[in-house]
Amino acid sequence: MQGFLLRRTGQALVTILGVVTLIFFVQRLTGDPTYLLVPETATKADVEALRHALGFDRPLLVQYLDFLADLARFDLGQSVVQRVPVLTIIASRLPYTLMLAAGALVVACGIGVPMGILLAVFRDRPIAKAASGIVLAAQSMPTFWSGILMILVFSVLLGWLPPSSTGDFSHLIMPSFALGLLSMATFARITRSALLDELSKDYARTARSRGVRTGRLLLRHVARNASIPLITVAALEISNLLAGAVIVETVFAWPGIGQVTVQAILARDFMIVQGVVLMGAFVTVLLNLLSDVLYSIIDPRIVLEGTR
Amino acid sequence: MTPLSRNARLAALAAALALSAAPAHASKERFVVDLVNEPSSLDPQVQWNPDSYYVYRNIFDNLVTRDDKGEIVPQVATSWKYLSDTEIEFELRSDILFHDGSKLTAEDVAYSVKRITDPKFGSPQLGQFDKITDAVALSPTKVKLTTNGAYPALLAQLVKLSIVPKAIVEAVGKDAFNLKPVGSGPYKFEGWQRGVQVSLSRNDAYWGDKGPFPAVIFRAVPDGATRVANLQAGTSDLGVTLDSDQAGQLKSAAKAKALIGLTERVAYLRLNTTKPPFDNAKLRLAAAHAIDKEGMVDGLLGGFDKPVSQLLTPASFGWIEGMNGPGFDLAKAKALVAEAGPAAKAEIELATAPVFDQRIVQAIQQQLVDAGFTVKIAMSDMATYLKRSQAGPEATSTLSFGRWSCACQDADGVLFPLVHKSSGWSAYRNPKADGLLEEARQTLDKDKRLAAYKQVHEIIATEAPLVPLYQAAVLYGATKNLQFKPTPNESMFLNRMSWVD
Repeated sequence: MQGFLLRRTGQALVTILGVVTLIFFVQRLTGDPTYLLVPETATKADVEALRHALGFDRPLLVQYLDFLADLARFDLGQSVVQRVPVLTIIASRLPYTLMLAAGALVVACGIGVPMGILLAVFRDRPIAKAASGIVLAAQSMPTFWSGILMILVFSVLLGWLPPSSTGDFSHLIMPSFALGLLSMATFARITRSALLDELSKDYARTARSRGVRTGRLLLRHVARNASIPLITVAALEISNLLAGAVIVETVFAWPGIGQVTVQAILARDFMIVQGVVLMGAFVTVLLNLLSDVLYSIIDPRIVLEGTR
Repeated sequence: MTPLSRNARLAALAAALALSAAPAHASKERFVVDLVNEPSSLDPQVQWNPDSYYVYRNIFDNLVTRDDKGEIVPQVATSWKYLSDTEIEFELRSDILFHDGSKLTAEDVAYSVKRITDPKFGSPQLGQFDKITDAVALSPTKVKLTTNGAYPALLAQLVKLSIVPKAIVEAVGKDAFNLKPVGSGPYKFEGWQRGVQVSLSRNDAYWGDKGPFPAVIFRAVPDGATRVANLQAGTSDLGVTLDSDQAGQLKSAAKAKALIGLTERVAYLRLNTTKPPFDNAKLRLAAAHAIDKEGMVDGLLGGFDKPVSQLLTPASFGWIEGMNGPGFDLAKAKALVAEAGPAAKAEIELATAPVFDQRIVQAIQQQLVDAGFTVKIAMSDMATYLKRSQAGPEATSTLSFGRWSCACQDADGVLFPLVHKSSGWSAYRNPKADGLLEEARQTLDKDKRLAAYKQVHEIIATEAPLVPLYQAAVLYGATKNLQFKPTPNESMFLNRMSWVD
């Protein structure tokens, strides 16, 4: 296990370094943010003066080495637009992203997994057909549309929920549903296919022939085996959610990472984009590692490389 | 668990959640403004974007300001006189206190000017003030500014220079001041929940008109449809930057209304006079005749904007009443294109960026095609668009659509950068126009300036290096009983608003 973790950590560091290097250079390929910061009436000399003050006139390699040196000290630099440390900006947005991701995950799993079970157990019966219709609808509604629709119905028309922004728990409900319903469909489909797969196996048939009832069969025999693909999907979905639910955050004015990232990309606020990408890479790598470890815990047949 | 009981539980949970949720409604005690983004910074000297100045201009005072009619009127300065063409002396109020209780003096004014004009400070606004070479406090209520050469637009520019407290900025430093700004304006900074909201409270010791709202919240709500929904649900009192459809939607709303104002922003087409087909003056005129400004404004923009025939708006100094330019005349445009023969067939690249109304850009393309031109739309992100637009005639596109504001309401900030050869934005070379623009920039004599600008307008009308399109409207949404008059410089002074019953 130790050898496995050590090797994977090494790989992870290389991956992250590769990602930040890529994002550093790709962003700078198309120029810098100076033009976006100055008023239209600024002359070339004004633009040059600001570019110099911000350090964008230095050779790319010098800027890159500076960036790496700062990174080694866990300093992500300062936003060129807001003139505030990137770490402060990300730290202030992260709690909202975590909240929204958790809310969405609760909606996605809470509805998706039971829905998947329904689809598998009552396969080909009317109830399953109705359920699959719901799943399909949830997946095909674009969030910018379903989000606005929810706001119009639950806030403007009924006045039950606050239309946007943050505050008490009620602010979290609509964004969680808007975001969670998309992943819900994925969870339902994966649950269904994993269950059907397991239910068709010999051990499940044997259990049935012994007279084990469906509920017990699912819970005691099949659930554990069927959860492997679910973990994979969950890891992917969580890293997706954390990287930012751009559209949902925009529609509901939810101050998460996704919103700040889009603004930073449009404003060419390189430092923020670098910080967010770094964080995203870190989370993805970590979750992948975690799900690999979880496999081996849930299914003893899976042995991690290097642990033998 | 059967599926039914599971569903019943979910429904019960949803109902319970819905009942427990009491939406926070805007009230008269707490005025809520929905901006597009949060301010990027509240230090008035380190940024240049609307979402920031909507907020900070309520925290700070300026030397001079514009009243609702658009006239430059005293604020911190009570009067001013020119000592010579390059020196101007301001008399200041003696009763202004910063929010920490310290007195605003000439030292603070001189410091604010020097801070923003120091190239090392790196203010994006440097270009608006770099003609000021010195600022000296002559007495606690007297300050003298020196410019390099006569500079007629100085007062118009000073409308945008906020006075910061020297002692505080020097004591806490630039970064801390940005996080906790202290000004002398009608509202005090209370707190900034990053990404969520900025809160201000009324300055009850303010020397001028006090604001009507005890507390004000500025929130970031990026989606226009959501800003409208917030107004309709009554959770916000004022929302910025609506489009014409959203403004129309508010006409039938129970709780909200649309507020519309014409700005100093002018939409224009810039023709590259060094590249075919627009190196041919007749083809430039053909393009000008091909554009139906009235049709676009009425048909696409809801009729809120106003067509113009000179490259300026009535909100700016240098606007000449009764000027005419080439009007919409498709037959004439077609005839001019036919006369030019194959020269008119050169492909035209129409540069634009996503921030502009694409319906307008497509309408322009279609109208030019109708006249016989070949036009391709080239969309790029804003930074690339800006860089390319300022790259000079050789590197810039054949045609570009833009909306111009100098935030100074003076022709010097519009005509000079778009026409004069020294500016990267200009794709036109005309020594006579350049001479007139220099002349108008170097004299304080208003009549001479107006005469020069009139001639520049005439040159633009006959040579068509640019096609003026329309004066842009600004559309806000507000609660029904808010009284607020949108101004041409798109400022949002809370102490000029009021409630009506």
